[in-house]
Amino acid sequence: MDRPSPHSGPLRAAHRAWLIACLSAALLLTAGLPARASVDFQDQVLPILQESCLPCHDRHTRTSGFSVESLDTVLAGGARHGAAVMPGAPEQSPLSKVLRGEIEPRMPLGRTLSEDRIQLIEQWIGGLSANPQVDSPAEPYWAYVKPAAGTPPEVQGSSRIRNGIDAFMWKRLQEEGISPAPPASRRTLIRRLFFDLLGVPPEPAEVEAFVDDPSPIAYEALVDRLLADPRYGERWGRHWLDLARYADTNGYEGDPEYYHTWRYRDYVIDAFNGDKPYDLFVKEQLAGDEFFEMMSAGALPPPDPEKVVALTFLRLAPFTEPRGEEDRHVLLSEMTSTVGSVFLGLTVGCAQCHDHKYDLLPTRDFYRLKAFFATVQIDPPRPGDIQQLGGPQAASFLNPVRGERWERERAALEQQLQTTEKSFALFYEPLLERLKAYRMEAARDRLASPEPEPPTLKDLKKAIRDDQGYRKFSIEEHRQFSDFSHRVLRLKNAIERRKPLAMSLRNADGPPYGPNVSTTYVLERGQWNRKGEPVEPGFPGAIEGHSQPARIELDPFGRYPTRGRRLALAKWIASPENPLTARVMVNRLWQWHFGRGIVDTPSDFGKNGAAPTHPRLLDWLARELVERNWSLKAMHRLMVTSGAYRQSSLHSDPEATRIDPQNRYLWRFRRRRLEGEAVRDGILTASGRLNGDRSGPPVFPPLPRGLDKAQKVQGTNTWETMTGPRARKRSVYIFQRRSLSMPLMETFDAPVPNASCARRETSVSVLQALTMYDGEFVNEEARHFAERVKREGGPDPASRIRQAFRIALSRDPGPDETAGALRLLEESPSGEGLTALCRVLLNSNEFVYVD
Amino acid sequence: MNEEHRNRIAKLPLQALSRRDFLCRSCNGIGALALAGMLADELPAGTSAATGPPLPHSGRKAKHCIFMFMAGGVSHVDSFDYKPALQKLAGQELPPLSGLSGEIQGYLNKPHRVIPSAFEFKRYGQSGRAISSLFPRIGQCADDLAFVYGIEVENNNHGPATMHVTTGSQFQGSASVGSWVAYGLGSPNRNLPGYMVIQDPRGAPVNGAAVWGSGYLPAAYQGTVLRSSGAPILHLDLPGGVDRAQQRREFDLLHFLNSRHLDQRPGASELEARISAYELAYRMQASAPEAVDLSGESAQTRRLYGLDNPVTEGFGRQCLLARRMVERGVRYTLLVHGVEINKHSWDDHTNVEGRMRNHAAEVDLPVAGLLQDLKQRGLLEETLVVWASEMGRTPFLNDLESKTPGRDHNQFALVMWMAGGDVKGGATAGATDEFGVKALEEQIPLRDVHATILNLLGLDDRRLTYLHGGRFRRLTDIGGRVLHEIIG
Repeated sequence: MDRPSPHSGPLRAAHRAWLIACLSAALLLTAGLPARASVDFQDQVLPILQESCLPCHDRHTRTSGFSVESLDTVLAGGARHGAAVMPGAPEQSPLSKVLRGEIEPRMPLGRTLSEDRIQLIEQWIGGLSANPQVDSPAEPYWAYVKPAAGTPPEVQGSSRIRNGIDAFMWKRLQEEGISPAPPASRRTLIRRLFFDLLGVPPEPAEVEAFVDDPSPIAYEALVDRLLADPRYGERWGRHWLDLARYADTNGYEGDPEYYHTWRYRDYVIDAFNGDKPYDLFVKEQLAGDEFFEMMSAGALPPPDPEKVVALTFLRLAPFTEPRGEEDRHVLLSEMTSTVGSVFLGLTVGCAQCHDHKYDLLPTRDFYRLKAFFATVQIDPPRPGDIQQLGGPQAASFLNPVRGERWERERAALEQQLQTTEKSFALFYEPLLERLKAYRMEAARDRLASPEPEPPTLKDLKKAIRDDQGYRKFSIEEHRQFSDFSHRVLRLKNAIERRKPLAMSLRNADGPPYGPNVSTTYVLERGQWNRKGEPVEPGFPGAIEGHSQPARIELDPFGRYPTRGRRLALAKWIASPENPLTARVMVNRLWQWHFGRGIVDTPSDFGKNGAAPTHPRLLDWLARELVERNWSLKAMHRLMVTSGAYRQSSLHSDPEATRIDPQNRYLWRFRRRRLEGEAVRDGILTASGRLNGDRSGPPVFPPLPRGLDKAQKVQGTNTWETMTGPRARKRSVYIFQRRSLSMPLMETFDAPVPNASCARRETSVSVLQALTMYDGEFVNEEARHFAERVKREGGPDPASRIRQAFRIALSRDPGPDETAGALRLLEESPSGEGLTALCRVLLNSNEFVYVD
Repeated sequence: MNEEHRNRIAKLPLQALSRRDFLCRSCNGIGALALAGMLADELPAGTSAATGPPLPHSGRKAKHCIFMFMAGGVSHVDSFDYKPALQKLAGQELPPLSGLSGEIQGYLNKPHRVIPSAFEFKRYGQSGRAISSLFPRIGQCADDLAFVYGIEVENNNHGPATMHVTTGSQFQGSASVGSWVAYGLGSPNRNLPGYMVIQDPRGAPVNGAAVWGSGYLPAAYQGTVLRSSGAPILHLDLPGGVDRAQQRREFDLLHFLNSRHLDQRPGASELEARISAYELAYRMQASAPEAVDLSGESAQTRRLYGLDNPVTEGFGRQCLLARRMVERGVRYTLLVHGVEINKHSWDDHTNVEGRMRNHAAEVDLPVAGLLQDLKQRGLLEETLVVWASEMGRTPFLNDLESKTPGRDHNQFALVMWMAGGDVKGGATAGATDEFGVKALEEQIPLRDVHATILNLLGLDDRRLTYLHGGRFRRLTDIGGRVLHEIIG
């Protein structure tokens, strides 16, 4: 299939792609019966193709969507030229044209098939029966069709159905001939729930109270309690921040700080805690500024600050120094791709340069989606700001209590800054005098006239930097100068972070204050300066069934022609009619609860993604989400109170292992490796030193020695190391630098937030072991953990050991474990034994893998 | 070997192999434990040891790569790309040139003034390669080097251009070349990671750790920074108050707890892997310091790398460490010379003459020393050495008003050279026009250079793939053309 040309008329690319898919699928129906096949495909043709066309066209590579795996795939053809074979007409068949070089590039790439081999293939094509019956249209792709209505199936003989989820799950297991695992113990469940919903372990008293709770609905009550706990938002907000590629810096050269993105982090946490309906959550992040309906004349009121903050989502990509139109293309394309994969599970980014190789997403659809963002404007940087950051938007603090806190803190910091600058001036003014004298002296030596301007602070800074031999200024003066400069810089940063601003964006002004909406073009091969066909904003044809432009609602007077595009997209995405939105989100929730999605590729619901293991369950959950007013907490409750969730992970069943070795059907619960954040927060919980302070500007816990220095930017150490309780806030509040990860987070696979991350890896490495055993953080907390054990466990070594196990692992030690621990206490150097035991417990597999 | 297989290899289950097998054959050096993305007991169906670890796609001599990255954009016309025509045009404008776009065209639209190189060029070796007087010692190695001229980078600014050279994409988030090599070749050393980074002791380059990140590949394939002082690898030193005997006691208890835990969860290979990781850590703590201990190097060797001179000592130490990494089986060693954008980077917008003198003095002797040392130890045969920067520079002035002339960025004229392995010494690929503005004929896209690097390490860039985000990712994206003209 050719690239859609600008003059392709009414037969749009999507239609054409669609037709080809139908045709190919129809061909498949008849393909098994090639008439008068004088050449045998299996014996004669296939070997040639496989010898020549692999490995680029095997089942997995499918370059250009074409595979020579089997008769079916050869007939089905590829994404570029459609059906590869025109039965009965070798001269028209792309396959033979490509082999003969009539279609470029000639295949096999860099070689030419011998004439007799090509002839053999053509003979085979010629022998196929022409005009196959196109009688039944192909099944539309499941993910593009609205979830089917359906009730949970009847399952016979199972007493363990707690809710609809189990009906689907147990039914599937019954079909496979597998029984589900027995329920996990309460002790296991409370630890599982705490880490899953809050991201921290339960305190020993909470464990014991739950284990001893006589209530038959103790578990449900616990679930409700945890869902109401504000730590839930910190835990689940972090999942969303992965998708949003959240960072506090911009990336690239100098990796400058985005001072105000933390407002978005807090918005996300609040949204989860407040159970903001998911459809609203989507709309706010895409078009929060366009909610206000302008029905009459008058000035456009400023958007609600919370919604301005929500829009930060669109702007979180790393961004280099802007250099014109190309960078705007990069910016908007990234926005388009990320919105597609995060909200829709559509890898639309693949269609930026060429038609999607696997899905029905022509390049044109990528640019039609991109056109929804054509009116986006990022304000230029404020004077003095780094160019590549762009400018912020005003967004007052919404929460009155917190807002007041930031305002108060800022006022205090301003005071501090004034005082510091005063003492700084007292310190440096004599130095300036001396610099002036040095300059006069130097000018005299050169017999030149001295510079007329007195030296400035900037000159002094440079002079001190150049004075490497301490000839003009003493070592102490160097030190003090650098000390003062750093303090001033930190105070200024701290003040900036507390300003009521958001790293957000808005619509361009539009006429008469600005140019009208610019036209979006299909860009050939994704290159910004190769404009093709102009396009209007529109939804993917494969889902909509047509490629008409989307209806953009303008105000009745057409005063604001730049408004309404993103809202149209947001409404379409956050609609019960959209086949993907709810499915994609419930699947994400499922993955975060169960360790693996029903669709194992959570941001790719396309053909190259994984097929759902439980399609009907997925549809049912998607409909439940919509019916429950898009309440995520309702879905959490449904999932974690299911019998499937409450299964044991220790269950072993050789028969089940044989049938389903990957546990795809969840015949037992999947053990979970903690994420870096949960490891750090868990350690701080064990030591009793986690600072529960919520929200606010990012924090800078100490880095391993030397690492901060190695990360100097333009000579300035940008890691504003904090000590004391501030450094021990939850990990979600740690400053997210794109050019540097904290080693502890990194070894536990925290993503570098350059692109949306749908699923974290769980790797095991020596560096992880070294960081956990030797790192300063773990060792300091192990000492405090030991102190806590001493306080809570009494003087008896055995009861101390028991308390240490209860804190770290939510259980009592077995006799052999107590014996082993006692030996360590005895053999360790005096006074070090308990710290050693605590260090060992934090390093144990049981601490980082939750059953 | 197909992609799914490759992806699967990264998740090769421990239980499918005996541990010893696994350690020897594993795909990743760092503990051989790249069990990325694997959940308990849930191994891909049908995975078995029979499929084996990733192996090179074709027989090439090089098994290691030392990639020397000069941060900031080395002026090609003052180093390795001789342009005598600039002498005649000194102080004048360039004649109109076609086929340019972007910033370079912008510069040329404005008044500009050519500055020829301030340095003399001399021809070296049988190949007669013209090399500037700044690099006399590298010049002595000319017959071992193959040059690639007129490489085009996709962006004219440091951040994206550096990403492009080091990861194949100008956008942050892709896997670096070293990660691909570690992924493709695995590592024979159990005590050191397969991909080491030796930074300039003065600090980090533009983009920081993204330069050696693993992007969408599992985290285990990212570069590990070899530290310039103290313990060579972060967290190699024991915690305060703990000696080896105490550590052993603690590890014994840890092992006991973990084994007991594993017994109740049979077949949980990731738990088993983590148990091994602690044992490997224990051994690495003993062996890694030796890898960076230069005290055993002879005075002659130290002189060869310039450790006796403060100017060359910094990069000399980096180069010497790189040789020691090669000796210990490290697959890919990234050396960075230059720090962010300041006087220590090659970003010579002003005083290109003076600054180039300083940068070149820091690296010429150590680089030549490394080549010579590798050669005399027979290691050059199996080590690909690459010299690179992120862009070239303009043959005209950066700023007409400037009192100290400098050069601006030029994304069309990056020069790189390679040596070792199957590189054909003295060979050339590509060429720039007589002014060094752009390629004489076709620009060489970076993906061709990357395809060539992989090829020289026995890897096929089209087959080395990883499924991510709905696409089979490659270092070279749409695939590169191997520059066979520089392969012997």
